[in-house]
Amino acid sequence: MSMAAMTDDSTFQLMLQDPMRRNEGFKRLMKQYGQMLYWHIRRIVVGHDDAEDVLQDTCIRILDKIDSFRGDGPLQTWLYRIATNEALQHLRRQTRLFQSIDSLEDTLAAKLQAEASIDGHELETLFQQALLTLPTQQRIAFNLRYYDEMSYDEIAHITGKTVQSLKTNYHYATQKVKNYIKEHSTR
Amino acid sequence: MNEQLDDIGKRLPYTESEEYLNDLIDTMTENAILQQARAKKKRHWGMMMAASAAAVALLILGIGLSVIHQSSKTETITLQTEGPIDEFLSSLSDEEAAQLPYYEIEEIPEY
Repeated sequence: MSMAAMTDDSTFQLMLQDPMRRNEGFKRLMKQYGQMLYWHIRRIVVGHDDAEDVLQDTCIRILDKIDSFRGDGPLQTWLYRIATNEALQHLRRQTRLFQSIDSLEDTLAAKLQAEASIDGHELETLFQQALLTLPTQQRIAFNLRYYDEMSYDEIAHITGKTVQSLKTNYHYATQKVKNYIKEHSTR
Repeated sequence: MNEQLDDIGKRLPYTESEEYLNDLIDTMTENAILQQARAKKKRHWGMMMAASAAAVALLILGIGLSVIHQSSKTETITLQTEGPIDEFLSSLSDEEAAQLPYYEIEEIPEY
């Protein structure tokens, strides 16, 4: 979607709270943010089919909860928070009783191996493997900072963490990823 | 090392095209709208059913209460007409009944 066609938060809010224009507003919202949400979810759950399921649940949840959006913060962070929660719930459903979602590293790494393109994407795959060694919450924060280029305030709003802990975590995560790539790189 | 990371940039090792994702998102958007409409209908139907059930329950309760009230009334009448004192009183002739205030309690036969 081009910048000229971008709809601002207040216009979305007006459309989504008007029962006559809600569906049109929702379609426009998904056109604008759908792909961002898909990739955010995909980076958490790794598999395409999983991302598809989570995105569908996210769409339903957004439409269901749209009345509760009061415009206190940016619409984008509100959408990302819903998507993040849905993705985390999806991961939790894959764990056994008393098992942490961080223990899904091997499962997610296997999905990455199965779905990553092998043609000239070795470094990208290695980078994703390195990210999977991070604890899930740290990985999500890293992704939001690195890929979505969000501010720490925005990430804090999405994840419920403090800005200070996010900054510290990002620093450690970067070091860990660099070390992993150094150790596993064949170049 | 940094050069390697710079090479990666923000690329991901996945091949889903933008066009494919746009179609996927359009389908999901339509599904979500349909599902919400269905859920609304279901909720509306559920509320209608609950209201109807409540009305029927109230009606049954009303009928039940009136039957109970009626039967307790009948019981009272039965007691009044069929009790031993009533039998005794009905067995009296008019003259005997007129004398009734003059009976001493001991004179009323055992029953």
